[in-house]
Amino acid sequence: MSEFLGYERSDGSIGIRNNVVIVSTAPYANDTVTRAADIVENTVPITHPLGRCQTKPDVFQTYRTLLGYATHPNTYGAVVVAHAGEIVDGDELAADTAETGRPSESVNIHEEKGVMNGLKATVDAAQKMVRDASEQRRVPSNMSNLTFGINCATSDTTSGLCQHKATAGAVWRLIDEHDGRGVFAETPEFFGGEQELAERAINDEVKEKILDRVEWWDERLQATGYDVRGAQPTPDNMDGGLTTIEEKSLGALVKSGSGPIQGMVDYAEQIPNESGMYIMDSPGHGAESVTGIGASGAHFMIISTGQGHTLSNAVMPTIKITGNPGSAKRVPEETDVDVSEALVGDQSIDWATNQLWDEISAIIDGKLTMSEALGESQFAIHRIGPST
Amino acid sequence: MADQLIEVVESADNVATALRDIEAGETVTVLVDEAERTIEMHDDVEFGHKLALEPLSAGETVTKYGTSIGDASTAIDAGEWVHVHNVESNYGRGDLADQNQSQAVQE
Repeated sequence: MSEFLGYERSDGSIGIRNNVVIVSTAPYANDTVTRAADIVENTVPITHPLGRCQTKPDVFQTYRTLLGYATHPNTYGAVVVAHAGEIVDGDELAADTAETGRPSESVNIHEEKGVMNGLKATVDAAQKMVRDASEQRRVPSNMSNLTFGINCATSDTTSGLCQHKATAGAVWRLIDEHDGRGVFAETPEFFGGEQELAERAINDEVKEKILDRVEWWDERLQATGYDVRGAQPTPDNMDGGLTTIEEKSLGALVKSGSGPIQGMVDYAEQIPNESGMYIMDSPGHGAESVTGIGASGAHFMIISTGQGHTLSNAVMPTIKITGNPGSAKRVPEETDVDVSEALVGDQSIDWATNQLWDEISAIIDGKLTMSEALGESQFAIHRIGPST
Repeated sequence: MADQLIEVVESADNVATALRDIEAGETVTVLVDEAERTIEMHDDVEFGHKLALEPLSAGETVTKYGTSIGDASTAIDAGEWVHVHNVESNYGRGDLADQNQSQAVQE
């Protein structure tokens, strides 16, 4: 069993980063959050267009996602900023964060009597928190604590033939050799491969859930009355040679390997502690699925991309791997690991897996990913129903 | 000798993936289930795109990874480029699901 250098949390989780997050509960607090994060070094702003005028399923999903970031293993503490009384309640979010032992503060712009006072209160809380966080040191930690997130991005036909195999090799190394966990998502990208995937479930309950969710997504897409083509596969998928959602899915599932599926969680739901491979139900929309995987507590994310991509997350370091020789040239500053020699050169998939594993080992100990160094990230909570 | 840059995933597949740009008129050799097969190319096929390994009739299942990736929407010859112009998906087809609903959405 190997160790890495991580940050211990009082709830028992171990982080690979020590973020202070500043979380907005509604669009009307977003600017305060963004401005405070501009002022205070080493903070991560979490902003979004939701948290208000939503029906209950979306309220729960928005809340669960925001709480997932405030209490993420990589989060030291959180400052929650609300505009006024919202259905996603800022005080409640801060209190639930504090329950995990993390420092947490709640700021309400109305209660502070204005935007400038609200900004000052947010900056004051965040400044204290980042100074306290800077005193915490990394300590040797067991790799069994780690959860490995996986997502596709701008898939093409190289994805299923090369980089997804390396990604599968690395995630199963964490599960089989280090008792860690893996999670992948994007349910509509199981279309065509769902039977084989469901057969990998550890029991009938998990099997039925996989098949039910695939059917639900197919029915939901059919209910639009349109052909899903253009949305799945996307135009960039088709440029890269992918013809149908079935072909995209069969390639996409290669990244999950062939081992047993331990369970399927809802969007942004926490991954259980038990070692193994999990599925999170989500759309194939990368920014939304990655945001959900981050909220579920994955420590880091492998973006296994065909055509190259900027997809990244601010709290969960995002390592991009490609096997398409053109992609490393198309977005060089976004490519952490180029394994195209395993596709068009003389290298093997084992070599590609080792390349990725070596990079993961460095990143979990503190090396910055390409997107972290560029300060690039996206945040998009998947919404279920209409605004009201 | 078989071309290493044309990949057939499973022996049951009737399409292969080009890992180089292939030109119409080329004669290519691919490895299918450890046997070499020679194909006359009808079309240019770009890196990452697919070619038919054998003739397919309209409606026939297009197979990759040993599994259906859709149906041929027209007859396809061996050596033809296989993509959205000649293959139809069987999932997320709201356009086929309910004609009344489709009409209502379009109106």
